Amino acid sequence: MMLPTTTVGSFPKPAYLVKARTLFSRKKISQNELKELEKEATQEIIKLQEDIGLDILVHGEMERGDMVTYFAERLEGFGISGLVRSYGNRYYKKPIVKGKIKRNSSIALEMFQYAQSLTPKPVKGMLTGPYTMCDWSFNEYFETRRDLVLNLAEVVHQEALDLDRAGAKYIQIDEPAISTRPEEIDLAIEAMKIVTNGLKAKTVSHICYGDFTTIYPKILDLAVDQLDLEFANSDFTNLEIFRTPAFTKEVAVGVVDVHSHEIETKEKVKDNIKKVLNVFPLEKIYIDPDCGLKTRTLKEAEAKLRVMVEAAKEIREEMSAAHVRKECCEIEKTH
Amino acid sequence: MLKTTVVGNYPKITEDRSAPNLRSALNKFDQKKISKEELEKVYQETIKRVIKEQEEAGVDLITDGQIRWDDLVTPFARNIEGFKIGGLIRFFDNNAYYRRPIAKSKLSFKDYSTVEQFNFLKQNSIKKVKAVLVGPFTLARLSKDEYYDDEDELTLNLAGILRKEAERLEEVGAEFIQIDEPCLCFSPEKIDLVDQAIKIVADGLKAKTFLYLYFGEIKDLIPGVFGFQVDGIGVDLISRPENLDLLLESASDKELILGCVDGRNTKPEKEEELLSLFERVTQKISDEKIYISPSCGLEFLPHSSAMAKLKTMVQSVRKFNHTEDD
Repeated sequence: MMLPTTTVGSFPKPAYLVKARTLFSRKKISQNELKELEKEATQEIIKLQEDIGLDILVHGEMERGDMVTYFAERLEGFGISGLVRSYGNRYYKKPIVKGKIKRNSSIALEMFQYAQSLTPKPVKGMLTGPYTMCDWSFNEYFETRRDLVLNLAEVVHQEALDLDRAGAKYIQIDEPAISTRPEEIDLAIEAMKIVTNGLKAKTVSHICYGDFTTIYPKILDLAVDQLDLEFANSDFTNLEIFRTPAFTKEVAVGVVDVHSHEIETKEKVKDNIKKVLNVFPLEKIYIDPDCGLKTRTLKEAEAKLRVMVEAAKEIREEMSAAHVRKECCEIEKTH
Repeated sequence: MLKTTVVGNYPKITEDRSAPNLRSALNKFDQKKISKEELEKVYQETIKRVIKEQEEAGVDLITDGQIRWDDLVTPFARNIEGFKIGGLIRFFDNNAYYRRPIAKSKLSFKDYSTVEQFNFLKQNSIKKVKAVLVGPFTLARLSKDEYYDDEDELTLNLAGILRKEAERLEEVGAEFIQIDEPCLCFSPEKIDLVDQAIKIVADGLKAKTFLYLYFGEIKDLIPGVFGFQVDGIGVDLISRPENLDLLLESASDKELILGCVDGRNTKPEKEEELLSLFERVTQKISDEKIYISPSCGLEFLPHSSAMAKLKTMVQSVRKFNHTEDD
């Protein structure tokens, strides 16, 4: 199908789950009680995506807080994270590397399998990339950042292999930090080769906070089949850089802005889709929001996705109608 | 004797659940659950705690921890006519963000940004205190210019506005004023412009003035930056370890702030390593001219780590000075 629709990964957590997470952190409810609620919420998110009509689903990350901390807290070698402010009144628990990183059991597998069991549509397996894991952690153990990144790459590779063996059609390894230090892009590329080595699944990497000018076309060397990029938030001003040299991978294009409360109109989103049709080959384009939806309310997230899916559908119909007209013309001409 | 100072910001919240919590107070204020006065009380309690922690650690020259600042630029931009505050942008190579000021029209002084904060610091501290200003070039470079279309003109205009702030700080009793210019490290070709801008801000002030350069290298700024019209230069020896050799090779009569405790990583410093660094430096430069400090503000660290690092820093300096009983 042309222009399949998907999302980047996270969905907003329902109020009962937010509350349960607080209670769990205060040791007022058990791990099992929390897990039941995470599964309940996952079920709702899968159902919502089917209802909206998305083509490739995500499990919604109901069990995760921060995308780096979630994995760090489940890996050997990381110590207890400390609270650090990122901006305004927002804080995150920044992991601390205290020793060699080892994985004792699968981390992402269980929730992936659960979510995939609920739907015949493909669900993406979601991982955080080794470069971002390193960049968003303190390092008290490794001599160099490279040593840490390559150790993390091995661990994320094991996670990816588990998802692959469990039948994931798509495995997404997010690297939002990749544009932070353009001088380290070769390291991020080296690490991704380790992560995706030998996978059967289609691989995706989401990159955001982007000044793509500093990392394009180098980023085309990242060992994934698809790059998932944000465009709507910057009003597509960065689109032109992808013309030369030509983009060689599949691309998932962010056509709705996840940082604004405002729901885009269908016409606006259709315009956005038309803009990218001029730059990327049609058969390589996927349609999705700019970034994870967890900072929106569930209502806003749903409304944005409905508009997006509807806009993609209309563009598809317009294009096949145009295609039919063109064929008719050609038939007339030959006669 | 070596002295100690800090660069500026400090963690706003602690792991201690019984301490006043600015984070939750700000959340409650946003949800209209507490009044402006109640929020103000938490601000003041927090700043007093931060002052006390630096004093108890034994730092000689302290700040208020910039507890009321969201970032380095918006506290100033909000008080400059002609700036609008824009979206979030990554702050250098940190996983931390600032709101980008946008110059929409001619910029002019609207109100003082830090004078009341400085007064509060002075009244509540028994130590020497330092005021901190964003540098005019760094403020210009981190902003979006939709009016001047000329970074030099924007920088010099901002320098004039910051001059007013510096003069007022001096009037209310500031004896130490630090100007942060991290952006200069990444654009050494702008050194003449920044020299001119710093002159506008600091010329003729009686207060002792420092220029602090963190996150970057000083290779192409030496010896030029030693000709700047300030009393001292602060250098980050962690982000760029080679900065130390550059300093030691150059002769200057300026005072120095040496950022040699990592403000961006929790890994604890070793006392013996700091001591050998102090040895090395004081063989070339008189210890009377040197302040030891973290490499940048401490807010990139969790509170417990920030505090531990301050203690290690002061203890090492005391050991070096043979004043351990202080």
